[in-house]
Amino acid sequence: MATLEVKNISKSFGKLKAVDNASFSVPKGSIFGLLGRNGAGKTTTIRMMMDIYLPDSGEVTYQGIKSGPDFNSKVGYLPEERGLYKKMKVLETLLFFAEIKGKKGRAVTKLAKDYLAKFDLADRMNSKIEDLSKGNQQKVQFISTLLHDPEVLILDELFSGLDPINTNIMKNIILELKEQGKIILFSTHVMSFAEKMCDHIAIIDHGKIKINGSLASIKAERSQRNISLNYEGDISFLRNNPIIENISDYGNSVGIKVKEDKHIQQLLKLLVDNNVEVKKFDANDISLEEIFIDAVGTEAEEVKNV
Amino acid sequence: MFNYRVIALIKRELREKLLSKAFIIMTILLPVFMFGIIGVQTFIMSFDSEKSVVEIIAESETIANGLKNVIGESNFIKDSTVIPMISSMSQLKFDDYVKAKQKELLSEKITGIIFIPNSALENKKIQYYSKTPKNMRLLERIDNPINRVLVEEYFQSKNIPTEELQYARMSVDISSYKITEGEDIKEEGYGNLILSYLFSFLLYISLLMMGSMVMQTVIQEKSNRIVEVLLSSVTSKELMIGKILGAAITGLLQMAIWISPVILVASTSWFMLPNNLTIDITFLQVAYLLINFFLGLLIFVGLFATVGSIFENPQDAQSGMWPIMLLIMIPFFIAMSMIENPSNPVASIASMLPFSAIIVMPAKMAMVDVPLWQIILSTLVNIATVFAIFPIAGKIYRVGIMMTGKRPSWSEVVKWLKYKY
Repeated sequence: MATLEVKNISKSFGKLKAVDNASFSVPKGSIFGLLGRNGAGKTTTIRMMMDIYLPDSGEVTYQGIKSGPDFNSKVGYLPEERGLYKKMKVLETLLFFAEIKGKKGRAVTKLAKDYLAKFDLADRMNSKIEDLSKGNQQKVQFISTLLHDPEVLILDELFSGLDPINTNIMKNIILELKEQGKIILFSTHVMSFAEKMCDHIAIIDHGKIKINGSLASIKAERSQRNISLNYEGDISFLRNNPIIENISDYGNSVGIKVKEDKHIQQLLKLLVDNNVEVKKFDANDISLEEIFIDAVGTEAEEVKNV
Repeated sequence: MFNYRVIALIKRELREKLLSKAFIIMTILLPVFMFGIIGVQTFIMSFDSEKSVVEIIAESETIANGLKNVIGESNFIKDSTVIPMISSMSQLKFDDYVKAKQKELLSEKITGIIFIPNSALENKKIQYYSKTPKNMRLLERIDNPINRVLVEEYFQSKNIPTEELQYARMSVDISSYKITEGEDIKEEGYGNLILSYLFSFLLYISLLMMGSMVMQTVIQEKSNRIVEVLLSSVTSKELMIGKILGAAITGLLQMAIWISPVILVASTSWFMLPNNLTIDITFLQVAYLLINFFLGLLIFVGLFATVGSIFENPQDAQSGMWPIMLLIMIPFFIAMSMIENPSNPVASIASMLPFSAIIVMPAKMAMVDVPLWQIILSTLVNIATVFAIFPIAGKIYRVGIMMTGKRPSWSEVVKWLKYKY
């Protein structure tokens, strides 16, 4: 069941078409990954969803109703460029952001304290924001997106600038929220996170949605006759082999597509016979990174692998 | 317009502003500072009370004796800031005498030497020799007694009764009466003049202060990127309203604190003011002043917020601030010029024009009896100004706060007005 829908939205800034007729839908209780390179149009799309930019055309609906202030009050939004009032205290900040979403009172205060404890910030409750480290500020900002108990979470570049431990805490909270039936949409260019967490994805490039759907079906569609290979040695002899449809080098791994299912075993044999040291051989599998690079082209430098 | 979001925003603004050091310091210190300036001035003036020795030499002995009498009763003997040494000698001797005293004059052991030749009884011309001959304060104090002696000496020979001499000695004393619509003609003191001056000044300071304060916070929110988080919860219109009202309430509160002593003095008899300092102000006028000030805050704080939204750092914003500063400063100087001449035609026109009405009308009201229709008209002009500028300001603000990167040119800002956002 689709509850959050983006329908044919476009946005231009002067001559630049930042988002070009993008559509996708986010089902309830799922984690949705909006994937794209830097400048692909992720943030512009998200800003249009939040009513910060007005789309040139198209609309965003939630449960059938056009987005607007009412929708915004049900959303927890973490923008890519974080910002807090530097002179305000931590708890004060959290309560203010909850209040502009229409939530205040003792219950919110208690919840805020609980979250601060969870993120190991309980003792910084009355510190000024400017006295916190960048990572801690980011945690405070993340809490502020959750405090009003939103139905939808929109998180732009969620994991940027976090250490592994806090990344883990956040991941767990997001999975917890998914269990509670919330809709979670995050944008990232880090494929390994998306691969582990997302149920649905959309890949956006140059403002256009290239691929969109459930991660499982996208993978199933593309993994037929595909082998994800990690190896040491020389595989150039495969280049003109009749069983190979094509070879894509993704840096860390190589994706090899064979012409027929039965060729998979032959390929493995060929590799072993030619003294190639096989580290990983995933048949009928494809990594999200491979899908992503196929979709957006080969300029892979900007795609990080964390 | 007033939903929980705007209220939360106003609350935050108030908490931040009212508790800020700048606000508390300004509120307390500005009056202290203003009175302080007067104090410092008096203090500096008191420095010339370093004793100055002045020799007064008259050619005729009778004038010298007359001076001794007159100066004896005038008050610079009492406060002894000027020590006069009076003697008489002939013109010829005097020329040598000045030469002999040259060293003492240069070392300022003697501040100056005044010579009153006999010809002064015909043309009142006297001579002053000093290292600093343009010491107006000293001469002002001395010329009156000298004049008196000369006058007395001159009329002595003319056989004129003392009462008539008395009349001749008096200077003109002007009492001012203010004509109002009302029945009674009241004698007018300096109270309202001072009040008008004071209020214009406070209005000017407060508009500039609140305006630039809001501009700072808008720039800060923009450069800190807080604005994007805020916009995910509130609309840009709500954000702008919250900011402006927050600042307007703060400003109003500050103004109320500043003028409450004035109202207290005007409305009670707890403080005895000298007759020529009485303040003539009604509560209706106070209410008008506050409403007018509130409208002024809305207009100017709104403009400052708009300018703030265009720029990303305070340095760039300086250039955008100028037009608004002028909109405040020019009317302020018009208001000041009115203190010299309350019926200044420029001021009369300015009191009805958008932007300047805010500042000129209150000053005008304190000094002349402004007909009610003019007050209503100028208030309507102000309200119309608010309604005229806010759609434009709101649009620029909406586009500006999300615009980052290079500093926009004015033509680009004009283009923003056509953007669909």
